[in-house]
Amino acid sequence: MPVTLALADFDLPTRSASGFMLRYITPRVEPIQLLGILVRRLPFRLSAPQSDIIIGVGHGDVDVFTGQNEAVILKAGQYSPREVRGKVIKLLSCQTGVILGPNLVANGCAAFMGYTDDYVWVMDADLAKTPWADEMAATSLMPVVDGLNALLDGKTAREALNIELEGYSRNAEVEEDELIKACLEFNRDNAILLGDGGAKIRARPSLALPFKLIPPPPLIPPRR
Amino acid sequence: MTKEWDELKQSLKKPATPEAMAEAAQAFKKYRVVQLAKGRGSKPTLVSLGKKQGYPNAVPVDKIPDELAKNPEFFKLMGRIVK
Repeated sequence: MPVTLALADFDLPTRSASGFMLRYITPRVEPIQLLGILVRRLPFRLSAPQSDIIIGVGHGDVDVFTGQNEAVILKAGQYSPREVRGKVIKLLSCQTGVILGPNLVANGCAAFMGYTDDYVWVMDADLAKTPWADEMAATSLMPVVDGLNALLDGKTAREALNIELEGYSRNAEVEEDELIKACLEFNRDNAILLGDGGAKIRARPSLALPFKLIPPPPLIPPRR
Repeated sequence: MTKEWDELKQSLKKPATPEAMAEAAQAFKKYRVVQLAKGRGSKPTLVSLGKKQGYPNAVPVDKIPDELAKNPEFFKLMGRIVK
């Protein structure tokens, strides 16, 4: 079963977050990867039922997760349970843990990981073309990457979430900038796991050596 | 914790009145002057993955005082972050 990776990248926050996924997650998963203009409802509806894990980056609200240009991808009560049944779902998005997450679990999602308030971080807007090189954003986004890599290594949803939470705490402890530190603690306090904490997916091979050493080419920001 | 950050925290605990928002904006300006002296990142920007929450998804850190002073929703968000 492949991974469904839905990575919106149409503004600063989505480009920053999706950039870290492109650098550290994309190279180790099978190619059902919805990036940019493909992060829309129809491609998602076709790919999600085939997957054992869904990873989404995009803007969200309590009951909705959106893709490119805020196209609705998952809205509580308005999707087929086939799209989510038995899957581990991680949404890097604001507030989806309030209504959408419980709705996904009620419709058969094995485990849902998301956030109950906004997901916030400080990024360097001058690094929008190479977001993975942004050390300020990395303090918040690398714990997410580490948690996802743990899932892809075959660890349980609970173990993956714990790795993410420990990452925020570790980075907050050594962070000198109070604003960045406050963002890390805010994200840590709002991260939730719903459903079966023991849920696992098929383990994937670890990142191949060339991808560990060489980052992707710079992103070309879309014309608006 | 710096004195400037503590002042910002205290100002964000108040209800979102125009006076409290102006006070928080001033407090953030003072805090930022100290942080900028340390120098990190060429264009630091506070971003979020919220959908139409009543405040911008990306606010350059040097514009946070302006947003704090004029936008009650952003003031409330900052109050939740800066506990």
